[in-house]
Amino acid sequence: MKKKKLKSRRKSNSHSHHEPEPSNPSDFSFNITRVAVAQICKSVGFGRSRVTALNTLTLVATKYLETLARSATSFSGAANRAQPNLLDLINALHDTSLHVGFKGADTLYGDDCLLKSAVLEDLSGFVSSTDEIPFAKPIGRTKERETEGLKPSPGGNLQRGRHIPEWLPEFPDLGNKEQSIKRINGETSWENSNSVLGHQTGEFEEKRDGNNGGKLSKERRKVKFWIKGDKRENLNRFSGNNLFSQSVDEEPEVEHKKSKAKQTLVYRRRKKVQ
Amino acid sequence: MNHKQQSNDGKHDDDSALSDFLASLMDYTPSIPDELVEHCLAKSGFQCPDVRLIRLVAVASQKFVAEVASDSLQHCKARQAAGAKDKRDKQPKDKRLILTMDDLSKSLREVGHFESIDFVYGVNVKQQEYFADNPSTGMDPASRDE
Repeated sequence: MKKKKLKSRRKSNSHSHHEPEPSNPSDFSFNITRVAVAQICKSVGFGRSRVTALNTLTLVATKYLETLARSATSFSGAANRAQPNLLDLINALHDTSLHVGFKGADTLYGDDCLLKSAVLEDLSGFVSSTDEIPFAKPIGRTKERETEGLKPSPGGNLQRGRHIPEWLPEFPDLGNKEQSIKRINGETSWENSNSVLGHQTGEFEEKRDGNNGGKLSKERRKVKFWIKGDKRENLNRFSGNNLFSQSVDEEPEVEHKKSKAKQTLVYRRRKKVQ
Repeated sequence: MNHKQQSNDGKHDDDSALSDFLASLMDYTPSIPDELVEHCLAKSGFQCPDVRLIRLVAVASQKFVAEVASDSLQHCKARQAAGAKDKRDKQPKDKRLILTMDDLSKSLREVGHFESIDFVYGVNVKQQEYFADNPSTGMDPASRDE
């Protein structure tokens, strides 16, 4: 039954480090969280703690943090936003503290402003009443350590814009441009195909800049589509008799013979539905 | 959102109180360091340039841990008070308050489940009293049909 002293870590520095230095970022963050949790427990009044209990509480605290973050992110995503804001965070706090309960939990989604919520008042009370517990050990060069565990970034064919967060992995290495263009079946990407003007010049991004984009090599008439189908077709039912056909085309790229062949494709379920 | 006149005035007061609170957050240094919080948030997809929100999350987590810890403290003290004899001095007991799994599991049960999908440890944290090969070990053969 292991116990751990929650007293000042300065004195117990020497013999508390039984574990080897953590090799991956998750161990590192876990150890930091454990120190912080131990400090909180000590401030509450515990003098000692069992190691397993401390580890469990650390995991619970981490999960709480992540739950808050996920709820806030999903709230912001539900509102078509990429970055959570204060209101998303307040809703997330509500969600996590519903079990314990707080004042005003019964009229949560009514007309009251979210900013007046009781969880914020509780938090402000907590902040004003509790003394600061500065973190015991200095976290030197945390970010450098974290990036050691991540894959080193290659030269990077594609430049990441600022819209891509740092914590996402790098793009896969595409190799040379020629290698990426040639595919197994001889397919080429649309921008590099012969039907697009200017496919030999410039890079992909340059085409996007202009308003013209890729131009078609030949002038074509405006293409019209109509949908042929039985009058009995019902939106809910399975209607397989829709035909898409082009009205006019200069070049017979879509053969009308093919479209006629498709007419014979009758989905047999349709008869049974009636 | 209501934009009535009456609630607007009240809203201004609350907004000022809230902005005061957020400003005071910057003075208060939470126990959980900012880099750690940022790392955990980034892992869950929360990305925000506003430092005050990160502090808010840190303070909320600190409050949560403090509540769980204080609940376990009360359980621990209640257990000691129940088992204390009159002759014993209470002083050495204060130094010996130990956070155990039993107290912790009781406090966590009160806090409740989190709705995160992979919250494996959940609430029902208790020591395994014994280990068995499969769930039906030791059950009556009649009820093993399930």
